[in-house]
Amino acid sequence: MRWHKRLLVAGIAGVVALAASACAGGQVRGAGGTPQPSTGQESTAATTTENTAENTAENDATFVYAPNLDVVTDWDPATSYSNEIIALANIYEGLTRYNAQTKEVDPLLATEWTSGDDGKLWTFKLRQGVKFHTGGTLDAEAAKKAIERTMKAGGGAAYIWDAVDTIETPDASTLTFKLKYAAPMDLITSSGYAAHIYDADALEENAEDVEDGKLDAGTGPYTIDTWQKGQETELTLKAFEDYWGGWQPEQYKKVAFRVTPEITTAWQLLRSGEVGFVQRLNPQLFEQAGMTEGVQAKQAPSFQNLLVLFNTADGPLKDVRIRRALQHAIDYDGLVAALKGAGQKASGLVPPGLLGHTAGLEPKQDLEKAQELLQDAGYGPDNPELKLTLTYAQGDEDQKLLVTLLTAALKQVNIDLQARAMAWNAQWDQGKKGGQDIFVMYWYPDYADPYSWFLNVFRSADDVQFNLSYLKDKEIDAAIDGLPRLTATDQLAAHQAYADLQKKIIDEQAAVAVPYVQTYQRALSADVQGYVDNPAYPNVVFFHDLKPAG
Amino acid sequence: MPRYLIRRLGQALLVMAGVVALTFVITRMVPGDPAVAYAGPKATPEQLAEVRERFGLDEPLWVQLGAYVTDLLSGDWQTSLHTRRPVLEDLYHAFPASLELVGAGLVIAVVTGIPVGVLAARFKGRLPDFSVRLTSMLAVSLPVFWLALALQTVFASHLGWFPVAGEYDSALDTTSPLTLWTNITLVDALITGNWPIFTSTLSHLVLPALVVAAYPAGVIAQMVRATLIEEASQDHARMERALGFRETTILTRFALRPALNPVLSLIALVFAYAIVNGFLVEAVFNWPGLGRYAVNAISHSDTPAVAGVTLLVALVYVLANLVVDLLQGVVDPRARAR
Repeated sequence: MRWHKRLLVAGIAGVVALAASACAGGQVRGAGGTPQPSTGQESTAATTTENTAENTAENDATFVYAPNLDVVTDWDPATSYSNEIIALANIYEGLTRYNAQTKEVDPLLATEWTSGDDGKLWTFKLRQGVKFHTGGTLDAEAAKKAIERTMKAGGGAAYIWDAVDTIETPDASTLTFKLKYAAPMDLITSSGYAAHIYDADALEENAEDVEDGKLDAGTGPYTIDTWQKGQETELTLKAFEDYWGGWQPEQYKKVAFRVTPEITTAWQLLRSGEVGFVQRLNPQLFEQAGMTEGVQAKQAPSFQNLLVLFNTADGPLKDVRIRRALQHAIDYDGLVAALKGAGQKASGLVPPGLLGHTAGLEPKQDLEKAQELLQDAGYGPDNPELKLTLTYAQGDEDQKLLVTLLTAALKQVNIDLQARAMAWNAQWDQGKKGGQDIFVMYWYPDYADPYSWFLNVFRSADDVQFNLSYLKDKEIDAAIDGLPRLTATDQLAAHQAYADLQKKIIDEQAAVAVPYVQTYQRALSADVQGYVDNPAYPNVVFFHDLKPAG
Repeated sequence: MPRYLIRRLGQALLVMAGVVALTFVITRMVPGDPAVAYAGPKATPEQLAEVRERFGLDEPLWVQLGAYVTDLLSGDWQTSLHTRRPVLEDLYHAFPASLELVGAGLVIAVVTGIPVGVLAARFKGRLPDFSVRLTSMLAVSLPVFWLALALQTVFASHLGWFPVAGEYDSALDTTSPLTLWTNITLVDALITGNWPIFTSTLSHLVLPALVVAAYPAGVIAQMVRATLIEEASQDHARMERALGFRETTILTRFALRPALNPVLSLIALVFAYAIVNGFLVEAVFNWPGLGRYAVNAISHSDTPAVAGVTLLVALVYVLANLVVDLLQGVVDPRARAR
């Protein structure tokens, strides 16, 4: 009997110790850590009464987005460069917004713009009557301050402003950029990262609140309601009543982000109606989504494609014939079929929806041709075996599929492919030293401009960063350097230049093979209207565009 | 007793020192540059240099180890590369949720496992025994991930009896916000009398707790059965039978107490195991606990966070073992001599 009592005492002591160690000291969850009375309904009570004030058809529902990763790592619109784009794109706005359907730039905080001086002078007219969430009014001076603060911070994607020499404000509604070199400022200002216009003074004065997600200083339709890092419902947004775009009664005034890493769980939540949008499904679930009542499945090409980069500087692949043989050996159609909708066949380096995307560059497997080229180079079935090394991303099933198919195809032409799955850091470190014959990676742009595929991946570099085909070609470099000016002044000529460059890099130099462009596979509740996937803003849902069906 | 205590504490410290060294090796030896993991793939060399200096990555390895141990002891478990908050702070939000889940699971396991074990022992070799042994075997051997998905699909998605995932309905955060004292939602809701969150958490807890309970319940049932059968063949049981006590009474009134002794140490061990086993359950049910945090950390190559989780779990293991050993020392003097 006695040990029972002792056990009980020990148990109670343990529980007490645990409770004490975990003691949170009376913080209130969901209130950003500020203690509130237990009735504390102020924040929501305020918004709901505002919302329901006039119209009875007011949409009181919360739209729930199920991302698969934590939402916010950096609240500062100047340096933000991660997942939080899905929230920030609804809180902050830039001067322009890219429209992937028309491949054109649409007005946002700027209503019109002109360029001059061969693409080195840009003038933007600002929209009137735009209010910041902090209460201030947007004018040219405020926009200038925001951009200059972002440039000065120098973090994240701030490099997009590198071309800017000075910003001038001739009057309260005009913003003039003088550039060091020609650049497409209309595209740059549409960037999802680092192009936000915000109330810079308010951000500086309340730096701590901004970091804690208690305050934002944007102009967008939504503003932060609650933020709880690490919680399942990490973030909720509420309508900004003074939004310049106005509010219709049926629009969603409340948005929640419910972090759901497990795809099947997200799918179950969508089916049971607990969430409205699932960012990513796998092909099996996507197929099921297409057949499930109450759910709509949407598919759209992304701006992300897979690059198979050949080592043009060193090893057996220095021989362009072998690189061409490898291009011919990849089973492009088989790969796309095996991806079951998660990818579509690429046509050149530039994905569809971007300037410079060129149709008719779709590659095709041709093993006979591959064998011929290898024979020419002294390899192939009747010659000595060729050993090649390849590195790809660990844990990426799609890349693994490519590697499996490629290994099998190369076996037929007497090439032994030694593929190694590696963590990105390790793969990249080795790649920078030129440690493999074939480097597999994804590439995507930071804003809707194909320039980065060429500047970062194929312009020659002594200190290799992403030029992992180690291509060094003066002619190609010169053509790449001419791209921004053309994009800024003559879109047609720019398109032609991009098309020519792709032919040079893929056909002549055979520095790369581009098997496919990734496809977004989304599922959303059937009672939602107005969703359009915009790959320029990856995974972003513009909630202000949505309304319930019927 | 003090000598026994000191010896066991020393052993526990030794194990922890080993784990600390191991986690240090994990954080420093992973291939790739930790500065790149923090600053992102497109960081400039200047940004990388700054990160290296901030985290002392440019110091010699032994200096880093020294700093690491001092930091750990002073409560600085490094900053997560992914959440960018102190790891200890992250753990302090994630761990209580795991405790809640595992605690509920263990309660279910004990409450079902012991009676079921008694039942099997009472009807040894007959149908109840056979079915208990079969179910407990299943409960122990079914992959927990599969079990979680199956329960979720059937009871949440199709029948709609329970919520699909999550800890509680997050809309309650605005209508009846929870004041935190222990960070364990269920406990906090109970002590502050927050019934909406309490009932919501309870209904969200049922399915994942059942999955967590499966393994310990199976093990406990088998253990209770085995020890009871052994106990029932002891001299005291023979005497009780001679005195005319019924078999059920002998098992529950006389044999159960001594038989529970090994079960007790088993529970403590299973507790630490269940926390790790619960990682998968948390992933499926989106439970905001340690498992979800660990999975997130691993998928982001967030080595400080992974090391933090490893340290914490090791600490729980060591503590659980220590407590059991000390308790047994109290209960059974023979243990002290071992």
